[in-house]
Amino acid sequence: MSAILFILFAGLAIGCAVAVVAQRNPLYSAISLIGVFVALAAIYVTLAAPFIAAVQVIVYAGAIMVLVIFVIMLLNVEQEERRRKRLGFLVPVAIGMAAILIAETAFIIYSVQVSGAKPPGPTSDVGLTHSIGVNLFTTYLLPFEVTSILLLMAIVGAMSLARQGKLLSATARVVPGAQVLAMDIARPHGEEDLTAVEADTTAESAHLMGVEFQSDPEERE
Amino acid sequence: MEPQLSWYLALSAVLFTIGAAGVIIKRNAIAMFMCIELMLNAVNLTFVAFSSFFQDVSGQLFVFIVMTVAAAEAAVGLGIIIAIFRNRESLDVDEASILKM
Repeated sequence: MSAILFILFAGLAIGCAVAVVAQRNPLYSAISLIGVFVALAAIYVTLAAPFIAAVQVIVYAGAIMVLVIFVIMLLNVEQEERRRKRLGFLVPVAIGMAAILIAETAFIIYSVQVSGAKPPGPTSDVGLTHSIGVNLFTTYLLPFEVTSILLLMAIVGAMSLARQGKLLSATARVVPGAQVLAMDIARPHGEEDLTAVEADTTAESAHLMGVEFQSDPEERE
Repeated sequence: MEPQLSWYLALSAVLFTIGAAGVIIKRNAIAMFMCIELMLNAVNLTFVAFSSFFQDVSGQLFVFIVMTVAAAEAAVGLGIIIAIFRNRESLDVDEASILKM
């Protein structure tokens, strides 16, 4: 029974993976990739790892692929047009490297086959959320914290990469308590001006930007 | 018949190989990005298979961390792709071979 399930989902995963590479339209590639992720999640369930399966669907098929599809739609990438083969020699190189990879892994698989590990029993609690959580916050606490720093770096990097517009000029004076506004924020349709404007209070910056500002929120009604 | 550990490793090897070949063959930056995700998933499958066959939870924690790295990579990588597209109006990596704006 579980062998049938494995073959079913492995076939689905390999078929979708081939489609990812074979499709010329990146959107179709992305949808095939979601198929790979879902098939792998099903295989994780048969491996008695329900937590990882759920995270796979939520994080990969949910968050990451939504981001990728969003970028594909945003950039309006047209179909990869068939061009002359400028780097045609790369195709046999790719096939050769794939053959080497398969040979290496076949060796490892043969060694594992001889070792004879047991498949997971029904009483296993290794993949449950409880055991993962306990290990994550005891033995693997340091990697967990390092991961949070990595995510912070990713946030800062993504923001600085996606930032459009000019940075503050090098001569901008920033003092504690002052708000520094770039000129293109204060006057969006103004001239190309790199000097920053300074405002000491929120009211002053609101005046610079030409918006209504009321200090007392209750006066709004 | 129960699936053996070697079956999972073989599936992982096939997926990784397809991903690696895709990174080499593809020219579109987003498609290459997706092939890298495919390779990361093949590695994850190996981790989970070993973890579950040897009854050790460490492998699944590694998978958890690999997923975090993939999420960070998606955020920064797509930011880079948008920046390249803004400058060159194209996602062809052959045209972006010079690291210059």
